[in-house]
Formats: sequence, structure tokens, C-alpha cells
Amino acid sequence: MLTLATVLSAASTDGLPILFQQIEIGVTLGAMYALVALGYTLVYGIIELINFAHGDIFMWATVIMLVVVNAMHIAAPPSNFFALIGLLLLLMAVGMVVSGSLNFGLERFIYRRLRRAPRLAPLIAAVGASFILETVAQIWRGSGSYAFPDIFPPSGVSIGSLRIPVLDAFIVFMAVGLMILLDRFIRMTKIGKAMRATAQDPEAASLMGVNVNRTIGLTFLIGGALAGAAAMFYNLYVGQVWYLTGFQLGLIAFTAAVLGGIGNIYGAVLGGFVIGIVEALATQYLPNGSSWALAVVFGILVLILVLRPSGLLGQQVPNKV
Amino acid sequence: MATQTTPKQATPSRVDRMRSWASETMIAGRPVIWYVTGWRFALIALILTILLPLVPYDVYPGIQSLVVAMTTVWIYVMLALGLNIVVGYAGLLDLGYVAFFVIGSYTFAAGTFGQLHDWTGGGVFPVPTFPMIWLIPIGALLAGFFGILLGAPTLRLRGDYLAIVTLGFGEIVPIVFQNLPTFFGNLGMSATQPAPIDTPFGQITFTDPLNNAPFYYLALGLVVLITLGVAALRDSSVGRAWVAIREDETAAETSGVNLTRTKLLAFALGAFVGGIGGVINTAFVPSILPVNFNFNVSITILIMVVLGGIGSIPGVIVGAIILRLFDVYILGLINDPIHQSALVAPATAPLHFLANVDFNVMKYLIYGIVLVIMILLRPQGIIPDARRRRELKGIGAAPEDMSAVGLFEAEEAGADIPALDNLDQTAYAGEGSDAQGRDS
Repeated sequence: MLTLATVLSAASTDGLPILFQQIEIGVTLGAMYALVALGYTLVYGIIELINFAHGDIFMWATVIMLVVVNAMHIAAPPSNFFALIGLLLLLMAVGMVVSGSLNFGLERFIYRRLRRAPRLAPLIAAVGASFILETVAQIWRGSGSYAFPDIFPPSGVSIGSLRIPVLDAFIVFMAVGLMILLDRFIRMTKIGKAMRATAQDPEAASLMGVNVNRTIGLTFLIGGALAGAAAMFYNLYVGQVWYLTGFQLGLIAFTAAVLGGIGNIYGAVLGGFVIGIVEALATQYLPNGSSWALAVVFGILVLILVLRPSGLLGQQVPNKV
Repeated sequence: MATQTTPKQATPSRVDRMRSWASETMIAGRPVIWYVTGWRFALIALILTILLPLVPYDVYPGIQSLVVAMTTVWIYVMLALGLNIVVGYAGLLDLGYVAFFVIGSYTFAAGTFGQLHDWTGGGVFPVPTFPMIWLIPIGALLAGFFGILLGAPTLRLRGDYLAIVTLGFGEIVPIVFQNLPTFFGNLGMSATQPAPIDTPFGQITFTDPLNNAPFYYLALGLVVLITLGVAALRDSSVGRAWVAIREDETAAETSGVNLTRTKLLAFALGAFVGGIGGVINTAFVPSILPVNFNFNVSITILIMVVLGGIGSIPGVIVGAIILRLFDVYILGLINDPIHQSALVAPATAPLHFLANVDFNVMKYLIYGIVLVIMILLRPQGIIPDARRRRELKGIGAAPEDMSAVGLFEAEEAGADIPALDNLDQTAYAGEGSDAQGRDS
């Protein structure tokens, strides 16, 4: 409430253009958060595990993409349109493969062994895995952050005083496209049906002939791949490759997933956009805003959990006994 | 898992051989095992640790640095014992334990420095100063208060949400201190070292850099107090309520346990102990740099608990000692010599790459691996919780059930160590039942 009041009072003095511009930034950030949040929510929906390492999987995709770009000696936007599209598709594929396979590997070699252990065990293992992924990146790349080269042309469209860079439009367009694709996949395909069945009741699903292990592994793969796509957008948009980006972004995206109602993919998307906008507004309107942005996001997380633990779109489900 | 149903008699394991040696060898008319069992072992260990600062320089020149290292070890033992109340007893994963450490730290700094900046960072206003003896309970109570403040709304939630909320809290608290000009922002604070205390036996000075024994004894004394307090709590009705919640919230609630209040008590007590650790640490160091309070601290303490044995007091103490000694003492011992010799070696030498390896970063990799490996292979820790083991033996659970019990289960401890019927066994269990006990 305090945040909202500050925002509104500041908006009235600074004028609406800044507010709209911040919302535009927020939507772009939100598209990335939503993609990462989907990974949390898919995994939580199917095995009720908070995959702490999800953010670090995202970070690894950003790192590997930087390595690929450097190896190709690309430091500026390609002049040819098709070369640009090709490069973006290549990077996205790299990111999706890296984080998808890392996430799949975590499930296969760590979480799967702990599926019947008490809740705390896989959670602690996930924290450990996150720690390992971060530290390996730190040892390999050092503690500093690296700039990702600007490979996207900096052109944009102006509507009045509002400026929409092509990059932002591209990110939102692609992210929404991936979300629609995911929705179709889960709703229309046989594998999607298996995923929903496993989420509802793994035992019953396996009695109906669903290969539960494969379905869970695939869920991790898809969730990871979405994080990999988000990693490419992040590299283009923020462009800071750092071993701790995944930690912070993971926390923000998790907040988004909880805000929307964890386990609910539409909730994750909604939560992602809301958190992105809130963060952009907080950065603009709070004094020394960028250093408080994370604290604001967490404040929201605590508030949601207190006021509406099931999230915006989640339903109240009784605890499984 | 199957090993526990089939007792192994065929070949005596290393543990068995160690045990028979311990029961046959006599010292002063008693077998060795008599000395290393239960409270006697604790007593002997305590006497040895009390004597440590008295070792003269001539006998061991590195004694002062060892005493400094051991002081920080005791501080971390406190923290691990505090976190163990939350994670081990109540089964709540607290990933932001560093927050309470921070609150204790700033309590000491503000309470000895005498002034703070105002909200804008411009002027200063005076803050009453207190002697250290008062700041310990003040810091602990403040931390406990914030624990209740955070816990009251969130503890009604499911456990894994709590993990994230505490993680967020652990991130926010240092951010708040970093950004508030009141507490000097990013620069941190330097505390005034505690004033000398007059006692009937003479004056105790805490500021002598060549004699760290007073701090050592202060920290050790607090560890003993906290250990006794935690043990008493564990065996009280509250402790049983915690375990009931940890095992099955729904069943505990139906049996009349007030979930929120019981969890909140665990959370607040954990925070309380964390606050004590923060106060003592700042008094000892005596400066604060807010960037040092990060997730790594929370995780390090969690690893101490998991490594030693979740919910086991001797386990947690041993886990904290191992990890902290490794950190401050052993890592410090190997880091510089390896770097120097690797730098001197020609660039083509096979181990030259070691010159570029920072072992202080590498340690977090090791910590992460330890965490995952322990959870996968030995979830009960180095020294499993005795009550837990007794429960498992008592009810004679079937192997399938054992795997479900998982985290706290004494996976093979029951098969390895006979007659585990009371707490006294924990001490020698620690001697042998680690990885080498898995030989068959």
C-alpha cells in the first residue's frame, strides 16, 4: 500500500509518460520472469518441490550463451536481417538445451532418488545443487560480471513520449508465443495429458499406463528449456552475465509463481507480469530505488503468503495426508 | 536399505574391530569405551577444550591462532545449535538464519558505538551504550522478537513456503542495513571492543590481541549453556511437540498440539540463539561489513546441521566444529602455501593451475557437494539423533517404512551398533559410524 501511494504521488508530479515508460519496462521484465516462473510452477505442480536450482540453471544458460557468442567473435548486431534471426535462434537453442538438460539431469540424478523421502530432503538437496551450480560458475568465470555484447539492433518505435524498443517487443512477443505453445502442449498432446494426470495423482496415473518417471523428467526438461529461452532474453535485455544472477532472478520468479498461485501456469504468467511491473515502478519511484527493488519484491511475497497463500489464481487445496 | 534386515556377522567390520579394541584396552582400570561414552566423553572433551588456551607458546607456537579459530568455531556451534532447533526439532527449513545473526551483530555495534546517523544520514543521535553482558540478552531478545514478527504470519503456511520466506528475509535484512544511512550503509560499523570486567579474581580484558582466552571462554561458556538449554527443551513437552509436528503435522494437530504456537516458539528460540551468536561475533571481530552477511552464511550453518545430523545435539556440534575448523584453520593453512609453491613452480608444472584456484571459493563447491551427498547417502548425518534411532528400533519398522522416514532415519546405525538404547551411545557412534561403517 505504501509502495502504491508513493508510486501514485510520484506519478502525479513526474507526469504520466514516465509511468507508462516504466510499465513498458515492467512488461518486458515480466515476460522474462513469467518464463522462469513457469519452470518453478511446472515442477511444483507435478512433484511439489521448490526447485531452488532453477535460477542457477537459468544463469548457466546465460553463461554458455556468452561463451558461444565470444567463440563466434560477434560483438555487434549482424547487419543482415536473416543473420540476426539465425543468430537469435541459435542462441535460444543453446540456452534451451543447456538449461533443459541441466534441469533434467538434476531430476534424474538427485531429486528422483529422494522422491519418497520427507519433504525437507529434496528441498535441502535442491539448495545444495544450487550452491554447486553457482560455485562452479564462479570458479570458472570468476566473481565479476561480464557484459553480453549488444547483438540486437537498438532501434525502436516512439508513440508520443513513450518509446518501445524493438527488442522489448521481440521479447514480449516471443515469450507470449512460448507460453501459448506450452499451454497448447499441456492441453492438447498426450504427453501434456500425462503431465496433468501425474500432477493430480502419480500412483493412479501410473496405473493408467503413464510412465511417471519419464513424465516428471520431461516436465523438468520443459521447465528448464523455458528458463533457457528467458536467459537469452535476459542476455539481450540486461546483458550482465554473473554467477549470482540466477539466485536473484530465481527468487523474483519464484515470488511471481507464488503470487499467481504456484502450480498454476496461468498464475505464473500473471504473477510474472505483475512482479515485473512492480519492480520497474519501485526502481523508478522509490528513493535509491534499484537497491530496494528486491526488498519490495520480497515484501510482496510475504504479504501474499499471509493474505492469500493460494495466490491470485490458485485454489485452496487441502493438504495431502 | 536391505542391509539393516540382515545383521552382518561374517567379517568383523572396522567399526567392530574398533569397538572390541575399545572394550579390551584398559586405562586406569576401566576400558577405553567407558571413557568415550555419553556424558563422560562430553566431560573429557569439555575439559580438553577448557585447557586449550593454557597450552604455552613454547609447546605449540600456533596456539594463539588456534584459540582465535576455536573461538569462531564456538560461535558457529552456537549458530548451528540454534538453527537445529528450527530445522532439526520442528522440521522447518530456515534459509535466512543469517538475518538473526545480523540483528545480533548490529545490536552490539550500535550498543557500544554510542551514536547512529538519523534517517537521512545527515546528523547523528546518541544511542545508550551498554556493557557486553547486557548486550548479549538484548541482542538475543531483539532477534527473537524479529523471529516472532516474521514467523507469526508465515508459520501457518506449508514448510516449503517458509523456506522461501525465510530466504527472502535473510536477503532483506542485510539489504535494509546496507541501505539505511542510520547504520552507516555499505560502510558497516566498527564496534567498540567490550570494556574490561572486574571480577573477584582480577580484571578480565577482552582487548588484548595476544590473549584471546577471555573471548574463548565466553564463547565456550555460552555454548555449554545453550547446549544444556537445548537438551532440556528437547526432552520437555515442547520438544516432543516439535518432533510430533516434524513427523506429521496433521496427526500432531489432531492430538492437541497448537501448531502455530509450537512452531513459533521453535522459530523464536532459533532466532534468539542466532542473536547471541551475532553479538559475540561482533564483539570478537569487532567490525561489521554488511556485504558479508549473505546467503552463504545461512547455507554454511545449514550444512553444519545436515553434516552432523539433523536434530542431534552432539552431531550438530561436531558438524559445526568440522566445517568451521576446515574453513578458518585448515583452509587458511593450505591456501597460502599452495598458492606460493604453485606460483614459484614453472608454468609448465602439472600443478601450476593451482595458483589460480581460490580455495576460499572452492570451499563453497565442497559445501554444496557435501550437502547433496549427505542428503542422498547419509541423511541422518555423522552422529544421528539418538531418540530417532531409538524410535526406529522400538517400533521395528519395515524397510519400506524406513526409506519413507528418510531424512532423520538411522539408516544402518541400528544394524551397525548394538544396544542403542540410550543417549549415552552417541559419543562412540561418532567415532566409527561414519562412511567407513558402510564397509559391507
